[in-house]
Amino acid sequence: MSVLLQVEALSVSANDVTLLEPLSLSLKTGEALTILGETGAGKSLLVQAIMGLLPSPLQARGRVLLDGQDIGRLKPALRARLWGRQLAMLPQEPWHALDPLMPAEQQVAEVYRYVGGLSAPDALERSRQDLAGVGLAGAAERLPGHLSGGMAQRLAFCAATAGGAPIVLADEPTKGLDASRRDQVAALLRRARERGAVLTVTHNIEVARQLGGHILVMRDGRLVEQGEAEELLARPKDGYTRALIGADPQHWPDITPTDGAAREPVLTVRGLHKSRGGRLLFEGLHMTVGRGEIIGISGDSGCGKSSLGDILLGLLPADGGEIRRAPQIARHRYLKLYQDPPAAFAPGIPLGRLFDDLIGLHRLDRRRLAPLLQRLRLDPGLLQRTSVAVSGGELQRLAIARALLLEPLLLFADEPVSRLDPITAREVIALLVQSATEQDCAVLLVSHDLELLRKTCHHVVSLGGRA
Amino acid sequence: MMTLVAKRLLQAALMIWSIGTLSYVLMRLLPGDMAFRIAAGRYGYDNVNLAASEAVRAELGLDRPAWQQYLAWLADLVRFDLGDSLVSGLPVAHEVSHLVLHTLQLAVAAFACAVLLALPVGLFAAFRAGGWFDRCSLVASAFLRAQPVFVIGLALVLLFSLHLKLFPVAGFNGSKYLVLPAVSLALVMAAVSSRVIRHSAVGVIRSAFFDFSRVKGLSFAQSFWRHGVRNAALPVVAFLGIQFAGAIEGIVMIESLFSWPGVGHGLAHAVFNRDVPMIQAAAMALGLIFVGLNLLVDIACYLIDPRERTEP
Repeated sequence: MSVLLQVEALSVSANDVTLLEPLSLSLKTGEALTILGETGAGKSLLVQAIMGLLPSPLQARGRVLLDGQDIGRLKPALRARLWGRQLAMLPQEPWHALDPLMPAEQQVAEVYRYVGGLSAPDALERSRQDLAGVGLAGAAERLPGHLSGGMAQRLAFCAATAGGAPIVLADEPTKGLDASRRDQVAALLRRARERGAVLTVTHNIEVARQLGGHILVMRDGRLVEQGEAEELLARPKDGYTRALIGADPQHWPDITPTDGAAREPVLTVRGLHKSRGGRLLFEGLHMTVGRGEIIGISGDSGCGKSSLGDILLGLLPADGGEIRRAPQIARHRYLKLYQDPPAAFAPGIPLGRLFDDLIGLHRLDRRRLAPLLQRLRLDPGLLQRTSVAVSGGELQRLAIARALLLEPLLLFADEPVSRLDPITAREVIALLVQSATEQDCAVLLVSHDLELLRKTCHHVVSLGGRA
Repeated sequence: MMTLVAKRLLQAALMIWSIGTLSYVLMRLLPGDMAFRIAAGRYGYDNVNLAASEAVRAELGLDRPAWQQYLAWLADLVRFDLGDSLVSGLPVAHEVSHLVLHTLQLAVAAFACAVLLALPVGLFAAFRAGGWFDRCSLVASAFLRAQPVFVIGLALVLLFSLHLKLFPVAGFNGSKYLVLPAVSLALVMAAVSSRVIRHSAVGVIRSAFFDFSRVKGLSFAQSFWRHGVRNAALPVVAFLGIQFAGAIEGIVMIESLFSWPGVGHGLAHAVFNRDVPMIQAAAMALGLIFVGLNLLVDIACYLIDPRERTEP
């Protein structure tokens, strides 16, 4: 087997702060290499450094050898010549990586035309074949805005690999996809492996398992453990690797609270329908949420989960249907927990002041705050800091505390852990479910991860389903 | 598409009625005797006397109650009759259409100059964002935009007409007379639009889909042509439409400065002479240009953005 890509002591630093410790690896023909680790572990930087796409204050050191040539020394213009031809990269957020104004088939055809040198009709023909090969024949003329997350990722895969590069680098390629769509992407990567080699960066254990090959486990920019996929996943040696594997929802214990007696409904929905951007999000939606009930809402990104939440909370009008809330309940007791914790707190103001303002505004009992923080395993000292000075997991727990302080009847939690690393995510979800149950607060838990919902919810509502 | 046009047509009708009414009311509120002012406009201030102004009053029916005159105007408007000029006695529609042609000539020339200037400047600044050219063009654009348009016009007159004697000072007699007023307007327009173009292009170049296009293997030029131009054009077209409309106010000033026989110039004279039908027609013409521009922008955005077409 010939070595396609050799990385020697590659490190990334920004203004003398090392973000990625020196790392060496080699990628041979027909090999799959998976880098496993939580967000912020420097995995994405590795891919960007290999491509030569590091944003400006970041600098790479070490050597990246492609067919024996150190491409790290190439001028940017020459290095760009390798893109698509030698090195292909699958984007992390396919929706953002696709031109919103260009039909799907054109975005692949242009690669055949301008990189492959085919004539326009031939390029379009090849593009259609590729799209049909990944089950997108019916969507060839659609715009990216009309594709689901899984479809967009498959389109991006076709576009990225149309240039014929033997080496495919994939940076979190399954982010935000549900299990079935995640498996489709993993299958595509296995196919790319047959034509060359694949380097995948992911925090998803299941993707790593399906790709097989070699796995490197990384934490805080350092290599923790490495080995063959089957062996490493079955018998992890390092404590961190074990925690990472345990954090995958399929290894969670079932933490669904026991179902009580008949619950009085806090929210009843009848025949709800909504379209957005000319696309039907859902119709004929029926749902009853009882007190303290935990209900999962699953579906791909972009299928209307967030819109549903805004409609249920009265922030967005529905196109039709009926929503009934419990009578004579203040509006602020139907609350939302946001996906991106930093976006939900005013920056630059101490968190304690934000809580004080809330307590003052609603004339709450201040004494409830301390036990609530304790229940969510939060140090009261965090309140002295501003939102940028605490971690994402802590901030999301503070957001939960802030919501529960208002004694809500219903909490719409919109992908509350998708921006958190898997170990933290598991902890936050468990605390959310437990503390809401203790307060008899119903939770509508939104996630693309069906496994997670099965382990935590009384029952699950699936949205969309139109691929 | 048709709903788009229908909406704009309705807007145009509403605009014609409201502008006509408003200018009528405003002219009534101006101090001074209307008949006297009109007579002065016809015969000159030196030749006007009480008898002349009374004759004008009787002839035009200015002694009727205001609401009767207003209703008469409204009834004429429904028949597409804008009336005759109170001063020259000629049909207003005829006079104004002359003026509008001149104004459009000036506006289109200025707009073309502005685009020819702003596009390369904006794009070059975007390709070297943060470089010396980008920063210089920012300073220049801020400086130009901070000047009232007539100051720029005067500066150009001083330089090119009086000093270099390249172009005539003012008036209208052939294409040479078009250059200075058009360039004055164009400078002001290009000052802002070059920055909008620069900003929009930088946004696109830094976007994830632009990066991805490069990663797919397309060159910078190919990526910019295939993905950059269309995405960057949307905000630029929308802005140029608004700016073109805004330039109409500048046109009133520039036309007066260069004695350009356009709507703005005509409007100013009509106000001095209390020539109400002329004022109404000139204001309506400006308003119609405004609505027409918006329609063009709508259609342009509709053609650029395929997403619009799939909306129900």
